[in-house]
Amino acid sequence: MRVRTVLIVGVLLLLALVVQTTLFSQTAVFVPDLVMLVVILLALTRLRPELVLGVAFLSGLVVDLLGSSVLGLRAIVFTVVGYLALRTRERADLGRIATGLWAGLLTLAGMVLLVLVGTLFGQTVLLGEGVIDLLLLVPLANAVLAWIFGPVVVRLVDRDATAFRYA
Amino acid sequence: MLNRQPGDRTLPTLVTLLVIGLLLMTFDVRSEGAGVTAVLRTGTQTIISPLQKAAAFVVNPVVDLVDSLSNVATLRERNLDLEQQLNEAEAEVIAMQDALARLEVLEQMYRLDATATSIGRTVAQIIGRPDPIDQTLIIDKGSSSGIAPGQPVIDSNGYVVGSVQNVTGGSATVVPIAVGPDGVAVTVEDQRGVAFPQVNSRAMRLDILEADAPVIAGQRVVTSSASIRFPAGYPVGVIAADAAPSNDGSLTTTVEPLSEPDSLRVVIVLAWPPDPVTAVSTEDDPEPSTTTSTSTTLDGSSTTSSTIAEDG
Repeated sequence: MRVRTVLIVGVLLLLALVVQTTLFSQTAVFVPDLVMLVVILLALTRLRPELVLGVAFLSGLVVDLLGSSVLGLRAIVFTVVGYLALRTRERADLGRIATGLWAGLLTLAGMVLLVLVGTLFGQTVLLGEGVIDLLLLVPLANAVLAWIFGPVVVRLVDRDATAFRYA
Repeated sequence: MLNRQPGDRTLPTLVTLLVIGLLLMTFDVRSEGAGVTAVLRTGTQTIISPLQKAAAFVVNPVVDLVDSLSNVATLRERNLDLEQQLNEAEAEVIAMQDALARLEVLEQMYRLDATATSIGRTVAQIIGRPDPIDQTLIIDKGSSSGIAPGQPVIDSNGYVVGSVQNVTGGSATVVPIAVGPDGVAVTVEDQRGVAFPQVNSRAMRLDILEADAPVIAGQRVVTSSASIRFPAGYPVGVIAADAAPSNDGSLTTTVEPLSEPDSLRVVIVLAWPPDPVTAVSTEDDPEPSTTTSTSTTLDGSSTTSSTIAEDG
């Protein structure tokens, strides 16, 4: 991975983290998980799969460090989501709508896993009011954002203007 | 459905990272968030919080504008409602000033030291939350403003919000009572109980082990003097449903918290327990003083007793 690509991925994740923790922490209906979305979209790029998993793990770890839940919870969840994304990325290649649906389903899997593992480790902070609603709202928001920005993110990271043009 | 190319190292990488993640989780749980993990948290929050503050500075006015536009239809009614609340609050302030004046006279009569009970307050702005599902609040004040882990947090109405968990120089995280891992020792009228958070609900479960009277919907629930996490007398919520003591003398009902962490912009962090330096100087004071002692029993419950000590 070149330095420029590292910088682009780093800035993208940092931007996602800051926007998620500030702007989208104040919205009630449109509540995407931007960091998880970036991890999912990185699976569509030409980055080596092992690197995508490493980035997913580190991104989850940073979100864990910012919150109050147990360290490593999101690191595990994001890594599993990244793995699923890598294994199913051909499904996203069909068109923009397919990319959105694919990202939404992966986010749903990630959210369910987060709640399940969080429950096993007694993380009450993740099980507050509206957790069931969030299991649907977050994947929906991520699906919409992936539909709009998915191809742009892939082109930006790969620096390839022809990527994801959908014939 | 899943595609696997021969020779790739994705699966071994996944397994390795999962093992590392599980080890981290185990280590964090065993160390109870202290040690290396606390240093890592503080370091990360120190790096990210300036960016969050800058983003909040830009984002908050925009969100306020959108909120105002979406609520423009109800703005007039809301203004009238707020005016009425302001009038009531002003009347309460006047009544409170009378009570304070009487209290001061009584303290002088009985030579009580009022300084031991004063609690410092730090006003902080909420700058965000870690992710959509994590209910933790991030505030823009930290240890440089005197904030320490465990300190209670209230809103501008004085309602209990939660307590501080992690602190960096310029930021801190607050865990609301409705999702925190621990219960809150509370009082309803003269009955003491504990309010516990519930899954997927804003309401809390109230358990009173030795109930001697029923509780009625609308009764106010306040922090108890038995609490080791919160000072006594701060409003927590109201009883949501009537309940009577059962045969074994216990009582269970639900409490609707008064604070709404999701809509808060500003919170107040209480410097409680009071500064140990003040406590020491109070002990050295030959004047009679009010002292509070707190003890924790083996089952995790705690008792607090207040006595008026008189010298000579």
